[in-house]
Amino acid sequence: MNTVTAPATGPGDAPAAGGPGSPAPPDAPWRTTWRRLWGDRGSRTALIAAVLLILVALTAPLLSRLGGWSPTAFDADAIDPYLGGLPHGPLGGISAEHWLGVEPVTGRDLFARVVHGAQVSLLIAFAATAIVVVTGTAAGIAAGYFGGRVDTVLSRLMDLTMSFPSLIFMIAMMSVAQDVNRVVLMTVVIGVFGWPGIARVVRAEALSLRHREFVEAARACGSGPWRILTRQVLPNISGPVIAYTTLLIPGMISTEAALSFLGVGVRPPTPSWGQMIAEAVAYYETDPLYFVVPSVFLFVAVLAFTVLGDALRDILDPQGGRP
Amino acid sequence: MSRRTRMLSASLSTSLALALLGACTAQGGGDRDPDGRQPGVATGTVIGGTPKRGGTLTVLSNQDFAHLDPARNWVMPTMDFGTRLIYRTLTTFRAEPGKKGSEIVPDLATDLGRSSDGGRTWTFTLKPGLVYEDGTPIRARDIKYNVERSFAPDLAGGPDYAQRYLADTEGYAGPLDGKHLDSIRTPDDRTIVFSLRRPVAEFSYTVTLPTFSPVPASREKGVQYDLRPFSSGPYRVESYARGKKLVLVRNTHWDAATDPVRKAYPDRIVVIQGLKGGQIDDRIIESAGVDASAVEWSDLQPSSVAKVLPKPGIRQRLSAERTGCTDMLALNTSRAPFDDPKLRLAMQYAVDKEAQVTANGGPALNDVATAYLPPSLTGGRAAAPVHDGPATGDVKKAEKLLAEAGRAGGFDTTITVSTGDKTRAEALQQSLSRVGIRLRIETVDPSVYYDTIGDTAGAPDMAISGWCPDYPSAATFLPFVFDGRTIKPKGNQGNVSQFRDKAVERRMDEIAAMADATAANKAWTALDREIQRTSPAVPLLWERKPLLVGDNIAGAFGHPSWTGQFDFAAIGLKDPSRSRG
Amino acid sequence: MIAYLVRRLLGVAGVLLAICAVTFVIFYLLPADPAAAACGKTCSPERLAEVRRFMGLDQPLWRQFGDYLTGIFAGRELGSGPHAIPCGFPCLGYSYENALPVWDLLMDRLPVSVSLAFGAACLWLVLGLGAGVTAALRKGGLLDRTLMVGAVATASLPVYFTAVMLLYGLVRLTGLLPYPAYVPLTDDPLAWAANLLLPWIALALLYAAMYARQSRSSMIETMAQPYIRTARAKGLPARTVVVKHGLRSAMMPVLTLFGMDLGALLAGAVITESIFGIPGVGRLFFDALQRSDQPVVLGVTLLAAFFIVAANVVIDLLYAVVDPRVRN
Repeated sequence: MNTVTAPATGPGDAPAAGGPGSPAPPDAPWRTTWRRLWGDRGSRTALIAAVLLILVALTAPLLSRLGGWSPTAFDADAIDPYLGGLPHGPLGGISAEHWLGVEPVTGRDLFARVVHGAQVSLLIAFAATAIVVVTGTAAGIAAGYFGGRVDTVLSRLMDLTMSFPSLIFMIAMMSVAQDVNRVVLMTVVIGVFGWPGIARVVRAEALSLRHREFVEAARACGSGPWRILTRQVLPNISGPVIAYTTLLIPGMISTEAALSFLGVGVRPPTPSWGQMIAEAVAYYETDPLYFVVPSVFLFVAVLAFTVLGDALRDILDPQGGRP
Repeated sequence: MSRRTRMLSASLSTSLALALLGACTAQGGGDRDPDGRQPGVATGTVIGGTPKRGGTLTVLSNQDFAHLDPARNWVMPTMDFGTRLIYRTLTTFRAEPGKKGSEIVPDLATDLGRSSDGGRTWTFTLKPGLVYEDGTPIRARDIKYNVERSFAPDLAGGPDYAQRYLADTEGYAGPLDGKHLDSIRTPDDRTIVFSLRRPVAEFSYTVTLPTFSPVPASREKGVQYDLRPFSSGPYRVESYARGKKLVLVRNTHWDAATDPVRKAYPDRIVVIQGLKGGQIDDRIIESAGVDASAVEWSDLQPSSVAKVLPKPGIRQRLSAERTGCTDMLALNTSRAPFDDPKLRLAMQYAVDKEAQVTANGGPALNDVATAYLPPSLTGGRAAAPVHDGPATGDVKKAEKLLAEAGRAGGFDTTITVSTGDKTRAEALQQSLSRVGIRLRIETVDPSVYYDTIGDTAGAPDMAISGWCPDYPSAATFLPFVFDGRTIKPKGNQGNVSQFRDKAVERRMDEIAAMADATAANKAWTALDREIQRTSPAVPLLWERKPLLVGDNIAGAFGHPSWTGQFDFAAIGLKDPSRSRG
Repeated sequence: MIAYLVRRLLGVAGVLLAICAVTFVIFYLLPADPAAAACGKTCSPERLAEVRRFMGLDQPLWRQFGDYLTGIFAGRELGSGPHAIPCGFPCLGYSYENALPVWDLLMDRLPVSVSLAFGAACLWLVLGLGAGVTAALRKGGLLDRTLMVGAVATASLPVYFTAVMLLYGLVRLTGLLPYPAYVPLTDDPLAWAANLLLPWIALALLYAAMYARQSRSSMIETMAQPYIRTARAKGLPARTVVVKHGLRSAMMPVLTLFGMDLGALLAGAVITESIFGIPGVGRLFFDALQRSDQPVVLGVTLLAAFFIVAANVVIDLLYAVVDPRVRN
């Protein structure tokens, strides 16, 4: 049995014992992964849901044209101005015209808004995840592989970033920075605080890979560090990174929604789920469907990516570093 | 929410034109909508009858008071709260619903003030025997002291009428350095004389503001005075945890015999702050336990309207008095596109005011505005519109005007609104798109809203801006909103349109100098129509203030002078014994 | 051990200083002008300048930051002459909106947030660990699957959705609980608990779900370790193996998580407090943002960072006590 070679320095770093012992041969693992993912009912459903949501986000303009309403078009006929703009009819004004009902006060089509909301929410979540993964992996590899001073500096930086009260900081930055592209700002702000988690996982992996035979062998053959990193190290940590990436997405979706919920998110009339829920909270009693529709979308998205991430982690990184 | 409060905040409301007091008929504009569905109780109704003395009145609020310090209190309902409960002013408004509420009566003073020197000098005499909460006498110099405090830079934010009206105040920075104003004289403990830089016919109204209440110099605590104003009114502060809870108890030294206005029914008043708006509505609708003896401080949420209006039993606990403010769409006249009066005129027809009504809570809570001056300043009736046509707008006419201005295909433009007005901006965007005008919406946090639109160089093409008269005189309205000389490069407020018109300014000076209030009022109304023809702003809405009371509340009515907030001088409980939870 | 402690505390001071500097620079470079907010409507440029001078906003950034740091350790006077406001140690600045030193405001709100955080933490630890360990011991069974499906679903619900549903079910429909408000513990312990129960549950459900997942996987991982097998082989009773050997080391990663979560919550659960209208630090923070009350925003950020760092130190020390290797 392999013993712990590199003592875990950071809290939460499970020792990366017994990882893959040889460079991963291409192709085969992917097929296995796919088979196992598809084989399990839970992860299959999650995968389908996630793919559907991404499709919805991609085809939002098309879908809303199909529904006949743009997300910003008002429909004064669908609401009763005397009752504070409550939708006419039961179930939040669900009708052949408005598939999921309408927003109170404005009469905007909920279906159109919720599919466009998917676009914003997923775009920000994916972009922020990308930032986090790229920065985190780079920092983690550098710290783990080079060690020494690089490691010290990067680890300090990770500690510092993790000590930031991130939500409070994000709210503050979003609410005071006005004249910028909100989507970009939000992506960056969310991304800035996420990288240390993945960096620690990668660092631990890289640390254990550094002295593996195949890495040593490559070094002995005269490969430069860049080549070793990209050819030997990166492929071997891709499993945990992919699993971790998938597990990051639901958190990013939630964070985006939370910021939008608190009113510091994207600019109107652009819809986003969190913002829609924030506006709908007050109506939970008088127009419950208005509250439920975006909540369900948000719930399904977070759930699907969590389940998917769990499954991928079980497959790709069975014992691996959990953040 | 806070943006609305802040905006309306700024000033007192009004109900009736000074000159026409008592001369007019019913409140205009229609308290009943065409379907006969009233928003709440009819104007002038006192909810719950006459209160009984005693008990604890609870006030449920979603926010903290901006400032209770009388030198800094210029946020609308807080002025009501402060001057009705904690401090008295030289004169004050009657504690009565409807038009009588905008009449003033002497408070600390024995009369409404005597003017001499053509309205440049005003003399007030204090009633004998007035005392503070510790029994020490209230002296004329204490009122002078508080007026001086309003000049101190660290006590900023209060009404600035003293700065505007008093003579020889150049460079004065408050009494904390030991310097005092010569333009206020206190020959004895009961006499105070104000020397003004120009005649002010309605100065009796000006001294209803909290600036003109007494603060003894010995109690000076600088900015910390905010936390515990020294009481000259019927209640004193027992405890105040900012943003959480304020408890007022009876000031035993207050003598009802000297105070014709304040009824002071409850023994205790507890303000619970920082609650959630919708939950406040739910609690008061249910009226369980202590909540039966509670009133709401902040407006009924639009989402709660459907829980109230269909139920007659609850609806009769809803007050929805006019705020007396006008909500306008200010057009930036300083540059293209709205430096062209033709385009501005087109906007009068392109905007769908009906949609604005809907977006702002519906016709139960808003009327379409037909002029800049609210009905209360134009004889109680809504002025006949200068630009007639349906409230939903006149697309044909707007298109014709656009074509005449050479913009037949519409144009691109921008608006900045605070986050609370997002829906309204979207409604505007929608209605302007009918004539091809493409509107880009910028939302900013309420806290920086006025900084943003007040930066004249970077100001947007349009902004939603409101104004409330400080007391029933158009002199507290039009000169603040359309006088080009008041424009400041930064922190510009009021004249958001950056409207400059020499003729209008000349006319304003002429009217301000008029000694005859009736004539002045007619002249202001005419000037309003004159300005509308060049269209620096589109009048949008006259709002109401929807407020619920618990079912043990009595004596509640929306006071016309406090933008429809309950008059805390007259409110109380039906059955005080039920209020102890 | 002492050397480790000293090193660790020095590190903490460095981290806090860095956070303070970053926060300070960001907030003081941003456009919102607290002086304009304090000065109010119809504020003349001269008056604005005076207010700025009084608030010290006319000073260069490094000077403001220096004064701020001095204030934290030694207290300071804000403004000068007869207008000066004393702001004693530890001076985190002065809120002009509230006319109180930031420290006083924080200390006034802190009991609320602490009540909320600790109550919720107790609930979620019991619920989360209970569910997690139970599931781990019955790995693969029906109970395990049910619990984990429940946990992943609950963790996916946004807290504002759970909160509203609980409010509807427990308050509006059934009247089982009062509308959430805050009653100090010292005033009436029963009312304190009754009023906070709803937010506790709302907050705890989310965390319990995360902790159930975490503790389950950690437990399963531990139980597969060779030394557990050894203990079993030695013939120790199953209960002893699970509690003494399994649980103890399985809880370490959970403890880390707990430290971070509790630390972050102590300085205010912004969303929960804002949904239920609870006057805690989070609510203070949000109100301060709306009013451009930057000293308060800065103060809350620092307080939150302090709690997170402090929680980390406590956890690390616990580790160091348990595992001597960490000290080097």
